[in-house]
Amino acid sequence: MSASHIDRRAEVVRLRAERPRSLTVRFSLVFFCALAVFAWVSGEIDAVDFLSKRRRANVERFLEQDVLPYPLRESVRTEGGGGTLELLWSWVAELWTDRGADAFWTTLWISTLAIVLAGVSAVILSAPAARTLMRTEPFARTPARGAGEWPWRICAEAVRFSLVGLRAIPEFVWAFLFLALFGPGAWPAILALAIHNAGILGRLNADTVENLDGGPLRALRSLGASRRQVFGLAILPLALSRFLLYFFYRFETCVREATVLGMLGIVSLGYWIQDARARQRYDEMVLFVVLGALLVLVADVLSQLARAALRRAR
Amino acid sequence: MLERRFIFERRGQIALLVLAAGALAFQRLGLDPRDLVPHAGGAQIAREFFGAALRPALTFEGALETSSGTFLGRVALALYRTVIFAAAAMGLAIVFGLGLGFVASSSWWSRERFGGRTVARRLSLRAIAMSVQAATRLFIALLRSVHELIWAVLFLAAFGLNTMSCVLALAIPYAGTLAKVYSEMLDEASDAAPGALRDLGASELLVFLCGRLPRAMPDMAAYTFYRFECAVRSSAVLGFFGYPTLGYYLKLSFENLDYREVWTYLYALFLLVVVFELWSSRLRNRFVA
Repeated sequence: MSASHIDRRAEVVRLRAERPRSLTVRFSLVFFCALAVFAWVSGEIDAVDFLSKRRRANVERFLEQDVLPYPLRESVRTEGGGGTLELLWSWVAELWTDRGADAFWTTLWISTLAIVLAGVSAVILSAPAARTLMRTEPFARTPARGAGEWPWRICAEAVRFSLVGLRAIPEFVWAFLFLALFGPGAWPAILALAIHNAGILGRLNADTVENLDGGPLRALRSLGASRRQVFGLAILPLALSRFLLYFFYRFETCVREATVLGMLGIVSLGYWIQDARARQRYDEMVLFVVLGALLVLVADVLSQLARAALRRAR
Repeated sequence: MLERRFIFERRGQIALLVLAAGALAFQRLGLDPRDLVPHAGGAQIAREFFGAALRPALTFEGALETSSGTFLGRVALALYRTVIFAAAAMGLAIVFGLGLGFVASSSWWSRERFGGRTVARRLSLRAIAMSVQAATRLFIALLRSVHELIWAVLFLAAFGLNTMSCVLALAIPYAGTLAKVYSEMLDEASDAAPGALRDLGASELLVFLCGRLPRAMPDMAAYTFYRFECAVRSSAVLGFFGYPTLGYYLKLSFENLDYREVWTYLYALFLLVVVFELWSSRLRNRFVA
């Protein structure tokens, strides 16, 4: 082995020893690997029962009979084929005109209104949640210290804390609570989705504002602009692309969730999924599940198109 | 002047379009803002419910409670199960998300790796690579497009109530989401390190695993952690369908009108999520630094 080869080897060993390491990262990795392994052996998860004979028989019945669309099942029993495709199509068409179309559009409108409400409130909330704006001297290069800073700081942290509260509670739980307060209708779902997403978008928007380049904002401020003017004339135009990117990213999730909230009794797609399940019409249930999946795919494409347009506009 | 420029800009138009869509939705749903004032019964519930916010229960509220153990013990058990189900599901989702994410990324099917020497060979290999990748992406989209609660309902119908079906219901859409994001992060990672390895003569598999993967790893880990937090929330909600997580007990308490118990569960969930958020933001700082 040549000397240079050994040198290089020593260099590699030295580089490896000096690579950045963090106790936090290591501990987290070990902890979560251990947690995932422990979860499987904790005895809380019935993997054995899941594969038992009884379960398998259940699944077989479900797949071979229950989810077969009604006209198919009938024709299999009577003669076996013959005009089944037509029957199948009319079955789908009837369910679509009867309930599907209405629920499909309701789901889409609920999620649209909810995400717009969330987006608007998140833009408004991003101002008091931005720590760089909430100072006696906003966007100053060296933040001032002193007793005067405390009210501003407390205010910003309080807004951020309540945003955590909004997003920590899942939409489904919000909707469940609101349903008892407002009674059935679209409002509980809209409010639940809007509140949860306002918590998420508010935080993302506030982080965006904090990460903005301070130069133009300082300049405007030194010309005597008020905080509100700085926000409306400089922050909003500078951050709007980012705000909209986050908005469309959440829109997709919002549609997914709106489908599900129907299971609580709001007439979106989930309502008919739950209804078909209660009546044990599993063929209808699967059809509505597929319809919901289609809606999510449509929203996915819409949001990707919008985000692509935004990236080009920047 | 500024307003006029704003309106003629693309993003200004998109913003206005969004607001118009919101107005249209409001009109199509036939909503009445007056319905937001709770009806008489609702107002009564609201008063009692929000009145209990500052006095979360520390012991069982219901007179009919016969179960052994303390209330706080039950809250702890609910939290424990919520985390356990989320962890088990994330374990599965990460394994399958990584596998699917590799196959769905463009860098896995790199030209250098699936090139071939002759034109015919190159074309056929490219065609195979593209179709496998497209099929994987479609499969991932299908996994993602059905919500975890709907998977849970489907599994309930097919298997009956079983905790394993709860874990699977969570793991399937999460594997899809992780796979999609992993593949995007792998493709967006810088080309410098893989290129350098390739110039040194490393095999293409090594270029991917030792050049590209480590570059994308910090982002992937941070995102995984964020999804873990989402999984904890979803796992709590799955309780509403009869699985023994937090949502099950929350629903029970709400239906028994034990609002102070409901608030304890809400605060517990809040605390759990805050702990995860603080932890993950600390991790992100480490990764970036």
